[in-house]
Amino acid sequence: MATVVSPSREASPNIPSANIQLPAIQSYTQVNDDIIGTLRPTGKWFAALGFAILCMLIGATAWTWQIYMGLGVAGYTPPVMWGVYIVTFVFWVGIGHAGTLISAILYLFRAGFRTTIYRCAEAMTVFAVMTAGLFPILHLGRPWKFFYLIPYPNWRLIWPQFKSPLVWDVFAILTYLTVSATFLYIGLVPDLAAMRDRETHPVRKRLYSVLSLGWRNSDREWRHFARAYLFLAAFSTPLVLSVHSVVSFDFAMSLVPGWHATLFAPYFVAGAIFSGIGMVFTIIIPIRRWFNLKRYVTINHLDAAAKLCLFTSLVVGTAYLMEFFIGWYSGSEIEQSYWWNRVYGQWWWAAWIMLLCNCVLPLTLFSQKLRRNTTWLFILSMFINLGMWFERFVIFEPSLAHEFEPWQWTAYAPTYIDWAILLGSFGWFSMWFLLFIKNLPVIAIAEVKEIVPPPLSTPQPVEGIDVSGMHLEFEPETPGERD
Amino acid sequence: MTENSAPSGVGRREFLKILGAGSAATAAIGCSSDRVERLIPYLTQPDETVPGVSNYYASTCRECSVGCGVLLETRDGRTFKLEGNPDHPLNRGALCARGQASVQGLYNPDRYRGPMIRKNGKLTPATWTEALQLMGQKLGEAQSSGGAGNAVFINKHESGSFPAFLDRWLADFGMPAHLSYDALADHAVIAANRQSYGVAWPSLSFSAAKLIVSIGADFLETWGASVPQQLDFADARAKLEDAPRFVYIGPRRSLTGCNADQWVACKPGSELAIARALAGGSVQSAADASGVPAATLEALQRELGATKPSLVLAGSSGAGSMELALAVNELNKQLGNVGTTVLTDQPITSLEGIATDADINAAVEKMRAGQVPFLMVRGVNPAFTMPRAAKVADALAKVPFKVSFSSYPDETSELCDLVLPDHHPIESWGDAQPMNDVISLQQPGMDPVYDTRQTADVLIDLAKGNQRTAARYTAQNYMRWLIDNFPGGTTAFTAGLQKGIGSGSIARPAARPASTGAPQAPAIEGTNGDFYLVVYPSPTLGDGSGANKPWLQELPDPVTKICWQTWIEINQQTARKLGIDSGDVLQIKTEQGELKAPAYVYMGIQENTVAVAFGQGHSAYGRYAMGVGLNPGDVLPVGFDAASGSFAWTATKVQLTKVNEFTPLVTTEGSARQHGRGIARSVPVEELPHLEMEQEEHDMPGKPDQSYLPGLRSRMAADAMGEIGDSPSRVQKGMYDPEHWSQMAKRRWAMTIDLARCTGCSACVTACYAENNLPTVGAPYQMVHTAFLHGVPGGNILKGREMNWIRLERYWEGGEDGGEFEPRFVPMLCQHCGNAPCEPVCPVYATYHSPDGLNVQVYNRCVGTRYCSNNCPYKVRYFNWFGYGEPARPQYAWPERMSWQLNPDVTVRGKGVMEKCTFCVQRIREAEHRAKAEGREVRPNEFTTSCAQACPSRAIIFGDAADEEWSVARMAQDRRAYHVFHEQLNTYPAVVYLQKVTHPAPKAAAGA
Amino acid sequence: MTVRRKWAVIPGLFALGAVAVLLSAYQGATSRPDTIITEKGSWGYSAASSPQGRSPEQPIHFPHPTHVQTLGMNCLYCHYAANKSTDPGLPAVSTCMGCHLVIGPKRPAMNGRPAFESAEITKLQKYWNEKKPIPWVRIHHVPDYVNFPHMTHVNAGVTCQTCHGQVQKMTQVYQYASLNMGWCINCHVGNVNPAWKARYDCSVCHY
Repeated sequence: MATVVSPSREASPNIPSANIQLPAIQSYTQVNDDIIGTLRPTGKWFAALGFAILCMLIGATAWTWQIYMGLGVAGYTPPVMWGVYIVTFVFWVGIGHAGTLISAILYLFRAGFRTTIYRCAEAMTVFAVMTAGLFPILHLGRPWKFFYLIPYPNWRLIWPQFKSPLVWDVFAILTYLTVSATFLYIGLVPDLAAMRDRETHPVRKRLYSVLSLGWRNSDREWRHFARAYLFLAAFSTPLVLSVHSVVSFDFAMSLVPGWHATLFAPYFVAGAIFSGIGMVFTIIIPIRRWFNLKRYVTINHLDAAAKLCLFTSLVVGTAYLMEFFIGWYSGSEIEQSYWWNRVYGQWWWAAWIMLLCNCVLPLTLFSQKLRRNTTWLFILSMFINLGMWFERFVIFEPSLAHEFEPWQWTAYAPTYIDWAILLGSFGWFSMWFLLFIKNLPVIAIAEVKEIVPPPLSTPQPVEGIDVSGMHLEFEPETPGERD
Repeated sequence: MTENSAPSGVGRREFLKILGAGSAATAAIGCSSDRVERLIPYLTQPDETVPGVSNYYASTCRECSVGCGVLLETRDGRTFKLEGNPDHPLNRGALCARGQASVQGLYNPDRYRGPMIRKNGKLTPATWTEALQLMGQKLGEAQSSGGAGNAVFINKHESGSFPAFLDRWLADFGMPAHLSYDALADHAVIAANRQSYGVAWPSLSFSAAKLIVSIGADFLETWGASVPQQLDFADARAKLEDAPRFVYIGPRRSLTGCNADQWVACKPGSELAIARALAGGSVQSAADASGVPAATLEALQRELGATKPSLVLAGSSGAGSMELALAVNELNKQLGNVGTTVLTDQPITSLEGIATDADINAAVEKMRAGQVPFLMVRGVNPAFTMPRAAKVADALAKVPFKVSFSSYPDETSELCDLVLPDHHPIESWGDAQPMNDVISLQQPGMDPVYDTRQTADVLIDLAKGNQRTAARYTAQNYMRWLIDNFPGGTTAFTAGLQKGIGSGSIARPAARPASTGAPQAPAIEGTNGDFYLVVYPSPTLGDGSGANKPWLQELPDPVTKICWQTWIEINQQTARKLGIDSGDVLQIKTEQGELKAPAYVYMGIQENTVAVAFGQGHSAYGRYAMGVGLNPGDVLPVGFDAASGSFAWTATKVQLTKVNEFTPLVTTEGSARQHGRGIARSVPVEELPHLEMEQEEHDMPGKPDQSYLPGLRSRMAADAMGEIGDSPSRVQKGMYDPEHWSQMAKRRWAMTIDLARCTGCSACVTACYAENNLPTVGAPYQMVHTAFLHGVPGGNILKGREMNWIRLERYWEGGEDGGEFEPRFVPMLCQHCGNAPCEPVCPVYATYHSPDGLNVQVYNRCVGTRYCSNNCPYKVRYFNWFGYGEPARPQYAWPERMSWQLNPDVTVRGKGVMEKCTFCVQRIREAEHRAKAEGREVRPNEFTTSCAQACPSRAIIFGDAADEEWSVARMAQDRRAYHVFHEQLNTYPAVVYLQKVTHPAPKAAAGA
Repeated sequence: MTVRRKWAVIPGLFALGAVAVLLSAYQGATSRPDTIITEKGSWGYSAASSPQGRSPEQPIHFPHPTHVQTLGMNCLYCHYAANKSTDPGLPAVSTCMGCHLVIGPKRPAMNGRPAFESAEITKLQKYWNEKKPIPWVRIHHVPDYVNFPHMTHVNAGVTCQTCHGQVQKMTQVYQYASLNMGWCINCHVGNVNPAWKARYDCSVCHY
């Protein structure tokens, strides 16, 4: 008989976060029960959904009013021609990136800790891009003419200006939305099949069976599925880099001081992933608590994700410093005066919020204690979301308010319309996400089963399993977690 | 005309659409047009007006007393633009902002629609028959009761036949001669001139002078005949090396002062001492009185003695102002300037015969004493222009019957019992005599907009209706009367109408004895208070008559750049001491009253002085004037310079207290400093000879003699013609290939702006509003549904949303520590870059580079991403934040009839699209079409843009830089030429600026 | 199996849609009116051009054929400003009456046609006597942001018929051209007549 290894319970256990096993999971049926079990709608859920829809309606009302009256109801103060909407647009696009990163890149890198969180992250991506996609239209002076940006043969015999980054924005966002949605759906197919088989309600059963494309769990299907998934992962990996690079070109391609920098593409991508991981924490931590999924999304997973977060935070911090360095190094008085204005000008506080939330606070993740403290992770993730929103604010507004022509320097203050639409965007995002978590499995059932050992031929008592079978003794809580 | 203009007009242009009830309106025009046809047009075929082709009727501007010549651009029976009359000797084609805005008086939405009669305490609309019947009856009563002898008629001062006609009419009704009122006139100077030269206003030759010293005379603003003076001053400055040095002495550095090379700050009331010192009197006493360092005065005295010829001017308005004016006239004589720079032999006659403020005040006192049974007011608004302390309203209440001929519901006419609204000058016949032997004719451009009647015609009708006088008034109407009395008769008259100029002289009314016994204002030193109060007439609103014209309200004050507001100017150093910042609300207090307004911290004002502009703060006068700003007249005492009878504007000291409030200044200014970015450049005159012209500065894209530069080689320009690649030279030069079939090779529209000429008067800005249908956004009613700014005048401008395609930037150089500072004005408009940053970023091709070098904005293609504006380094692109052109919207910029002013050639931009300066592309196309129809090329300098045409300094020159025949091509080669931001950004702008030239004090003086 | 076929349909639909768009796109540039829409009242102005083939009823049923073909009148006789203004100009009622004072409603028999009483001329005289303009219904309308200078086109030798069709043959005038932008461009690039090739960057017409 082999010895039973049980984790020590010291103050600071040195548990390698590389260990992403699910010791508390016994069998495939348990996986199905636990995960599909979360899908029963509850009163709380309905309340949350109602609130989300309310927020969305507030935003929608504000937008209707804005279309009727004109953009002037928003806080634009020329020459600050891009305001909260573009800030929020970039914010949401950024959120999306972590999803694809986790589900695609980490998949290719075989980073096991993604297994239990990627479904949420991916859903988040799709919904975030859906939200982001609204904002470019929202901020148009004539939103009803947005189709002028789409190249289609028309009897005006004219085409879009392909030199303009904005046209490529359209392509980038649409591509990103299509691919990430497909990716999400393909990954769902086996799970949908599993749900179909357990479903009793005829209508839902029919729905699931249509969605699961008649999945029959045959080896052939699994082989095709694996290839398809791998292919899509490879396909969407470049998107992680390209999409936000294209978005960053909106700014890098212009000559506005503070925008006109070659650094922007990598800088934006890093920032995007950083913000995305922040949002993943914001979403996954409550879910694992409320849905009682701690045995699946273990603290080790979060620990690993936190390390990724720390890394991207450092990248972003470097980019910030680099910007200031270039500002000084350019030797252009106009650039320098802008950078001075960024940190000491009218919006100094925004700049410092950005630096604090994105560069200073994440440094706490060097401490394993805090990495494994879900409460802190959650609080930090909130700061990161805030900080990343302000990062975009700090990039866009001071630049426009402090350009070449001193006579046109100005201030900018959003109005309640801007805020209402910002709120609406969160409502819209939350609405989709809430609908998602109660209708589709928030954790990839199939992939979890992959890391749960197959059912042994002979039934065994729970305790005293061979260590080589990688089974630790059953514990309701994963060791080392504090919250 | 009805038949052909109506249907083709409707819908062809937005402006008629906006008009709403198209049919009704066009019907109204229809009736008008046949009358219009009978007029003799200035340019196009006389017998017929062609739909869609403008006629230009030569007329006379009546906004101020001077009487410049204007052309009324009229199409399809509607006058929609005023332009200076190039053949007019006075303004030579230039026109000031107030003149431009006169058309907004014509279509003003708050004009009286018809006669009004006071019924149970309220003015109620009536028919002309009722009104005239009432008027006739009252006249009869006045005659029979013998009260006629005490009747008073206050008329807006104007030269020409009407004053004489009016006096004759009054005489026939047994009434005394009328009072010709002009609140802006400098009566002290006029009186002094009469005494010294025998004329009211000699014309001044700045270009002949080598040194100009102005003691508070704002000759570029409201002092005398501003437009001709500005024309001549600009010509003088354009002589560069030989240009006169200009020293301005006064407590406040006005717009005129900002154009001076040196500003000497003196205490108000000490001007006389300084004038004496300059004339050789005691420098020390002057220094003590004025707070000016003796050295400066000595230097000036020396310089004045050394430099001949010179020109000394005075214009203060306080106790002893006439004394000052006389002293200065003496000084000019003593310096031998009379005849060289002071031309007494060719006076501005339109300033003759103005009743002094004292006369008006005397009349008001008579009313208060209840001796006036019958009052008639026309075109003036004493209830506003006289200080509140004069209690005009109470005095008027004592008059049993008051008639107003005003077209607008202003403070005075609202107090009257009967309103017989007069035609707007654009609707009426008349004449003016601005100079000896020059008659400036005034003819209507169109039929009356509302049910109004020209006062002269009303008077004739009344006289006909009265059996005693009927026999003597045979003329069918005033026009006939004019023709009958015109020197040279009908033929001369009709001939004169061609150019708007007649020769000969018009009988002037007999000079009235100036009233005596006006209360003498005390010397300002004597009054108690800690700050001198300087009240000056606003350069944009004049005596307040401009306040109901949104163009003028929206036109920032040339010096402070504040609009839709009243502010208190306070010295920078003093403000620092008192801890006052711009926008902090200050309260000034006198015995007469108090006034609370935000502070404007200004370097150009004497330490112990605060200044407030006059013209705002109406309690009536329509939606654009009411509740906007404050009236400094409320704190002024009633005091006069008894000698000349001119009202003392600068009469009292005030208590100044800082109120714990903050009101943001409605200003278009971001930073008043250039931060060394070389936007407005100037060069000292001694460096001028060494000034090298940097070739790169002169790379004007499209010039044939140089290789074609990026903007024009840009594929975009070629794309526009789809001509890419069918020949190597075509690829190289795009549209500018000389062999190109479209013959666009020569065209490169460009503009030069000579900062040595520009005085910052901002006439170009208003001209642009008039030509390009720019909406005004600052009216209180336009600021609705907006948090925090609801109903705030200029609220949209606080948000930086003004739509001025051309703006005048005013930068300060130096003076941070209270020392000398140099103001620089630079008109900033779309630079039409050859290599424009805004073009490649537009996702829908809404902005692109046209083959003839225009940076084009296509409104109907624009979706409003506003990326172009982000990428424009000059920040000259403007966005339609609201539906300014949609009548259903609260922000509608052209309420009822204002829309008639819209230029039919220019699209009214819709909500959510970007717009900017087009180089008046509609004028370019019009000229091209005309040339094509006549089978010729566009002639050099055949046309110009609206701003260039209006500019009273002739600072702006527009044309084809690629064709040496155009003067712009020559100007662009000037040694002073430079491009803004070109070095940093490689934009190849089409706008070339010529550096300002400064004339520092001579070394000797500077050393002192 | 059935499932797979079901899904295979979707891309096909997309492809068909794309083709449809492509085909529809250019028809505006070249098409000729196939149907004549006769409607009462006037065209409600909008940002768009008036629809092709539109033929509203006019207050007076003015027969172009009679005046142009039978009597050989020149277009410029009535539309007198077409060669000197952006506006073609409509004839004044006085212009009509110039002839119709003489040519009254009673039309004598003429080459085969029996004598008859013309209701239209009666209407015209009614307008004249009431001194009212004739409220013609607008047919051709381009948006307000389009500047179409008639004189430039007429002087360049573009015939009226090029854009307005064989008006001399129309008993009731209808809109011949589509008046959409592609239609304008098509001529400006010289497809209709190389001699008429003209600038076609935006600022030629839009300002």
